[in-house]
Amino acid sequence: MIEPPEFILVEDSDEDADTVQQAALRCSTPVRLCRVLTGDACLALLQQTRPELPALVLMDLNTPGMDGRETLRLIKSDPRLATIPVVIVSTSANPRDLDYCYRAGANAYHLKPVRHSEHLQAMVEVLAYWLDRVVAHPNRRVLP
Amino acid sequence: MSVADAAKPLAWHGQAYSTKRFGVSITDCDSEPVQTPGCVQAHGALLVLRPTDLTIAQVSENSADVLGTAPAALLGRPLQELVGPAHSARVKAVLLQPEIERNPSYVFTHTAAHTGLALDVSVHTVDGVAVLEFEATGRDASEQRDFYALIRRSVAQLQGATTLSALGDIACTEIRALTGLDRVMVYRFHDDGHGEVVCESRRDDLPSWLGLHYPAQDIPEPAREVFRQTWIRPLRDVDGGLAELLPLTHPDSGRPLRMTHCALRGPSVMYTEYLRNMRVTASLTMSIRRDHKLWGLIAGHHYSGPFDMPYELRAACELVAQIVSLQHAAAEEREHAAYRQRIDSVQQQLVTQAAQEGGLAALLDGPPTLLDGLDTGGTALYHRKRWWCAGSTPAEHELDALRDWLSTRPEMLSRDRPLFATDQLSAHYPPGLAFSGVASGVLAIALSRSAKNLVLWFRPETAQTVRWGGNPHDKPTVVGPHGARLTPRASFELFVESVRGRSKPWLAVELEAALRFRMLMMELIVLRADQLAGLNADLARSNDELDAFAYVASHDLKEPLRGIHKYAHQLAESAGLLGEADHQRLAGLTRLTLRMDSLLDSLLHFSRVGRAELQLEDCEVGEVVEEALEMVAARRGDKPTRIDVPRPLPRVRADRVRLREIYTNLLSNALKYNRQATTTIELGWLAPHEAAAHPANAAWPAAAGAQTVLYVRDNGIGIEPRHLDQVFKMFRRLHGRDDYGGGTGAGLPIVKKLVERLGGVVWVESTPGQGSCFYFSVPTDDGPPNPE
Repeated sequence: MIEPPEFILVEDSDEDADTVQQAALRCSTPVRLCRVLTGDACLALLQQTRPELPALVLMDLNTPGMDGRETLRLIKSDPRLATIPVVIVSTSANPRDLDYCYRAGANAYHLKPVRHSEHLQAMVEVLAYWLDRVVAHPNRRVLP
Repeated sequence: MSVADAAKPLAWHGQAYSTKRFGVSITDCDSEPVQTPGCVQAHGALLVLRPTDLTIAQVSENSADVLGTAPAALLGRPLQELVGPAHSARVKAVLLQPEIERNPSYVFTHTAAHTGLALDVSVHTVDGVAVLEFEATGRDASEQRDFYALIRRSVAQLQGATTLSALGDIACTEIRALTGLDRVMVYRFHDDGHGEVVCESRRDDLPSWLGLHYPAQDIPEPAREVFRQTWIRPLRDVDGGLAELLPLTHPDSGRPLRMTHCALRGPSVMYTEYLRNMRVTASLTMSIRRDHKLWGLIAGHHYSGPFDMPYELRAACELVAQIVSLQHAAAEEREHAAYRQRIDSVQQQLVTQAAQEGGLAALLDGPPTLLDGLDTGGTALYHRKRWWCAGSTPAEHELDALRDWLSTRPEMLSRDRPLFATDQLSAHYPPGLAFSGVASGVLAIALSRSAKNLVLWFRPETAQTVRWGGNPHDKPTVVGPHGARLTPRASFELFVESVRGRSKPWLAVELEAALRFRMLMMELIVLRADQLAGLNADLARSNDELDAFAYVASHDLKEPLRGIHKYAHQLAESAGLLGEADHQRLAGLTRLTLRMDSLLDSLLHFSRVGRAELQLEDCEVGEVVEEALEMVAARRGDKPTRIDVPRPLPRVRADRVRLREIYTNLLSNALKYNRQATTTIELGWLAPHEAAAHPANAAWPAAAGAQTVLYVRDNGIGIEPRHLDQVFKMFRRLHGRDDYGGGTGAGLPIVKKLVERLGGVVWVESTPGQGSCFYFSVPTDDGPPNPE
């Protein structure tokens, strides 16, 4: 049994992962983060985390191997995992991608701005919202 | 020489006819009873016998001259008294044979008692009487010639003929060789009844009549009927005179003698006059029959006095005529097969060329061309909304009208044989008279179900193509009592008049060839359609690849771009180590990454514009403009801006979101490229009829004529004329990168793509320093927008 992370970041780009790490450091409470490079790794990790589930999966759409779309579909079609909030971050503003993700059950979709300051700010807001503000599903027990 | 005026009774009305007594005139020769002329040629004598007792019922009035016994001494007497018991018995025996009916047979040679001349006697039965003909043989009674040996060679040659003209040539040559006649010709009767001299063998000093056409009336129907019943018709001496039968009708039945099969039958007055006018002194005519129809005649003319044609010689000639008739179908079939083969090989070659060169132009560039297959004067092909012509054809506007008329003909809409052929177009299509010179004959095949695409072949008016080699000032022709009409020249001229507006008829083999050509063309067109479908599939594939590329560009290029941007940013943050110049370089690096990012966004957007599905609805352009103005509000900033809408904007059928995007882009440009104190933008429109009435100029596209035209006019910086064609090109900017608020140069290309996607066109009018006006049109009908 691994101690479950509070959220999983699926991101193959080191630069973008670094930006998210910076954002995590700016959160008011410390956040346990686990970064994986691929969708396959994400699913493998989720299979091992029980009984608790992470509070958030933050996922890039274009990841090596199994891409973000397929990973999203598998998470949302698995009864045990379906309640995990999945937030997509992508450079693509293509309506087809937006449509696919929302239909597959994505909880939010964010664009990655090129401007670093905007990108960092966006990630801070996403983490603050999903980790602090929302009331989580009952199957996520918040540790004291 | 037409049928007699019905009101005017014939001269011999109510009496037995005799050529000698009544004759005919040019107007009633169609009524002439040529089969019962009541007269024989005066060089021979004719007896009509009662078959039962061989008593003489009628006798030609010249019996004293020919036989040495006056009619009075013969009538009512038995034949035996004239020819002796042996010959009489021979006749009696022959009369028992059924073959003798309407088929003269030689029975014996009679020696005239008073002159000692040998007379060939032949006998046949008709209508219950026996007919005995006595003709001078022109030779000694003991002389016998073996005509079979003579014609054996002729028969072998006739059987080897591979074309109709070869067959006719052989027949003419052989008959002339057999008989010694001065001229032997083959006349051909065309479908409309008119005749043509198609083969000829003549004495060297005579003028040629080859190619002479004459009207149908020249050989009147009664004469043609004779030639359907008998194979041969001799006229020994044009000036030989006639001898009437005594009595003129049969004493028992009161009927005139049917002389159709008599070698001695007296000729028609018209015929002898026609011959006399041509200086012909004797003639021999044979029929050529094809499938029980009279196809033509073999006509022999003699110019040097009477011409004796004894029974055996006539039999030999008759055999030749019969063999020509038998061989005729085979020779024609061989001729047509050769023609068919020639057409087919040309057409195959044409279609192969067209398939290889990938265009119909190959059918007319040649060699060979469409003209080389069928025997025609011109050809025109209509396909893909244009004409392709070769040879002599009507003008294009005449072709258009003819095509429209043809497409209404039921023949052209037939599923299996969409073909129309005529040798007299103006009879069906009166406007065709205007171009009957080049196209009296038309053969059309449809290449599409609606018959709008077709191939036409044209044949010129026959009158413009026939040339009779005969010299009009030929020494001539004497003119007889019936005038100049009865001469070959007059016949030819009459013929030329009779074929105004007509062409040579189309042969069955030509119609079939046209239909085969149609099959080849249809295959070719289907092949081309397949190739086009293939190209379209390739195009669609490459569009998809482009889309995929744009997608990859937006993602895979953006990711490293963001990385670069980030490190540049972080370097700038940890500034301590760097000098001012380094800071500027880092700022430049950052700016470039941002610019590249917006270029990638534009590219992605542009690639999506043409592909997303349209949602057509009725849009109030005024509302759409309001929304667009809101979206560009930020750009207006603090600068004074006036928006004019001279009259309420219309309602159009379009995709609302895309229409708004068009306005957003145009308004954004109008706001951006302006250096006036006050930016003025006019939003207006023209209804289709107003757009159509707009004075034509280079910029105003014809395609906008039937559409609603919307425009955005500004008082901005304008566009230099030389740049006008650049503004709609992707990533083409006319100004410095950061002038006028920057921009990627994708706005107008996207507008162009959106407008075209909605089925319209976009264009611009501009005066540098004064402003630009961007026009775009929107279709007014509910028809589908342009697929591309």
